[in-house]
Amino acid sequence: MGWRMNVAAAAAVAASLFLAPFALAQDKPYEGVTLTIASQNDQFASVMADLAPQFTEKTGATVKVDILSYPELLTKVTSDYIGDTKGYDIATMDIVWAGQFAETGWTVELSDLIKRDAAEINVDDIYPILMNALGNYGGKQVAFPFAGYANVLAYRTDLYEAAGLQPPDTMEELVADAKKLTNPTVPVYGFVANGQKGPAVAQDWMQYNAQMGGSIVDADGKPVLNSDANVKSLEVYKELFDDAAPPGAADYDWGGREESFRQGLAANMQTWSVGAAGYGDPSQSKVVGKFGIKVAPPGEGLPKKYGVGGWGLAINADIDAKQQEAAWAFIKWITSPEIHKAMNMNGASSYLRISETHDADLLAKFPFLPVIDETFMHGDGDYRPRIPQYPQIQDILGTAVNAVLVGDVEPKKALDDAQAEAEKLF
Amino acid sequence: MALAQGNTIESGRAPSPAAAVRRRLSFARRRQLFLLLFGAPAVLYVLVVAIWPLAQGVAYSFYDYSLLRPAARSFVGFENYRELFANDAARNSIVTTFVFTLSAVTLEFLLGLGIALLLWREGAFQRVCLALLLIPVTVTPIVVGLVFRALLAPDYGMLGYYLAHWGISPTRGFFGDPSTALGTLVVVDAWQWTPFMALILLAGLKSLPTDVLEAAEADGATPAQRFRIIVFPMLLPAVFLALVLRTMDAFRVFDIVFSTTNGGPADATDVLMIYAVKQGLQFFNIGFASAIANMMIVCIAVFSVAFVLLVRRADRRANEPAQ
Repeated sequence: MGWRMNVAAAAAVAASLFLAPFALAQDKPYEGVTLTIASQNDQFASVMADLAPQFTEKTGATVKVDILSYPELLTKVTSDYIGDTKGYDIATMDIVWAGQFAETGWTVELSDLIKRDAAEINVDDIYPILMNALGNYGGKQVAFPFAGYANVLAYRTDLYEAAGLQPPDTMEELVADAKKLTNPTVPVYGFVANGQKGPAVAQDWMQYNAQMGGSIVDADGKPVLNSDANVKSLEVYKELFDDAAPPGAADYDWGGREESFRQGLAANMQTWSVGAAGYGDPSQSKVVGKFGIKVAPPGEGLPKKYGVGGWGLAINADIDAKQQEAAWAFIKWITSPEIHKAMNMNGASSYLRISETHDADLLAKFPFLPVIDETFMHGDGDYRPRIPQYPQIQDILGTAVNAVLVGDVEPKKALDDAQAEAEKLF
Repeated sequence: MALAQGNTIESGRAPSPAAAVRRRLSFARRRQLFLLLFGAPAVLYVLVVAIWPLAQGVAYSFYDYSLLRPAARSFVGFENYRELFANDAARNSIVTTFVFTLSAVTLEFLLGLGIALLLWREGAFQRVCLALLLIPVTVTPIVVGLVFRALLAPDYGMLGYYLAHWGISPTRGFFGDPSTALGTLVVVDAWQWTPFMALILLAGLKSLPTDVLEAAEADGATPAQRFRIIVFPMLLPAVFLALVLRTMDAFRVFDIVFSTTNGGPADATDVLMIYAVKQGLQFFNIGFASAIANMMIVCIAVFSVAFVLLVRRADRRANEPAQ
């Protein structure tokens, strides 16, 4: 028996030595593959880069995250796609780029892959609004949802209390409260929003405009910039800037707007949920313990429709099949319940799954998650129209609205001119 | 030539092609070819890196060419150039750029000349000032823009808050008001680039012949007379050099505008580079963006040629023997 045992043991050792590389290859199917990701410089970027080595450990694929500013990201990714240079395997795609990406076919159409791996992805756990808005355009899934942002109202609880007011439930209440809470001698202002020419003012106004019942395009997707509702909402917006916003707000971009709230200058601010975690951080905020987050108030009598934004992950259509496969594996991994939760525990503030906004650990750390849940359940990802002409429309509005805010032109005239410009694009 | 023949006779073979070429070409011609060969890499480099992209840019400007629809590229002749002058926003950008360039260069020249004259005499104070003057020039323009933006913000800027509070600046701040934004950018540009202008002019002043100045002083010429009749005419080559360099640079201004106003408020500071970058890198209208870039090249070339001609004339005059 002894010699038989020895032979068997030797055979087992030999077999294990022989088969080890195959087992390793199966364990790490993307050994030798390098995935390069072009990522927007938002909170999720550094967290994703920190977690990436876990993917390498699991699959063998090395992940490089190139963190870029917004204009840099758009320019680099577009040049890469147009030049077929295969520089980036995966790119974060802003919600408003979906139309362009779908029209050009730069990225891999993911519908079949999602259908194939539906169970593994647990599609039902992903908010339907995000599945649609962060990657689907005209039936084409040009990106996979990755980081959902909710437009919310951040307000100062102490100022509301002192004035004996309740935080607003409607836009009309917000406008009235903003004026009441303004006291330049303190100084404190009832309202703050982006006013700077360009994407900053255009995006913020489009959000308020949607809440006040306005719309940028009609049901056929054609521009209606000078509709009565839009003119009216721009008049109110100007009124808010004149009567209730910090004097410099007409020159604020996102950074200026957020800073004014964190410095205690503003009583109300609509903002992306991604920034909310920072208001409670004493190292950067003077309003710790004095702020509340609630859903952005819609206009009186208008249906609940809250602004949704964020990022999807798109796979470069130029890269070869093996790279595409590895890229898809990475997307599935980073958006999996476990890893996505870990991302948010580490401060990514990028929500995607229903289970995340109801997770006890996350709720304990970020008590405003029910507001995000409510926003996503009644979300609107199209208040900034995700059409191929969006960049130009945004630019036209960015100049027109800013001109109104600084008193250069009347709202009606500005939007009439903007409409004439926009029509040339269609 | 004789040596080549001698070699052929000695070796007893037919002359090699190289030797034949050598026989045909004179020494001067061969030297010329030799030098050309040495210059070839540089010429090739310029062709590939400068001339070819420039030519591509000129070619693109005649097309309706969007990177978002590359297949739909079509030849449109001078349509992009016509659009450049027909479009209100583009026309405004051209005017804004000219106003900015003219104002900034004039201000920088006047201040630069003043500083150069103050620092002309040798001394410890002048040397310290000279060293300090170099600081703004070394700062990246985008940082200069961000610093001034933060400084002049009317709500929490270290300077802007008090300026707005005391009513010195508009309530929206210097960058937030259409009537003051461009002027403020001119001042910021002058803050950064006046020292550069001063340095060139100072170098010009230091190279002036002292004997002429001393003779004028001995003859009883007043400082104003000395400046008007002797110093300024002799300084003209340096003046034109400083002007050409700054004009070319100011015409292409981008960084400080991008980081302070981004072309706003409304379209008050929408200079050509901001407009071109938006058309090219945001909308990917390569045809139209190329037309803007080409127009800028032509404008800069015209400035440069005009200044170079003026420098030559001034140089000739300065070197003319007194009659």
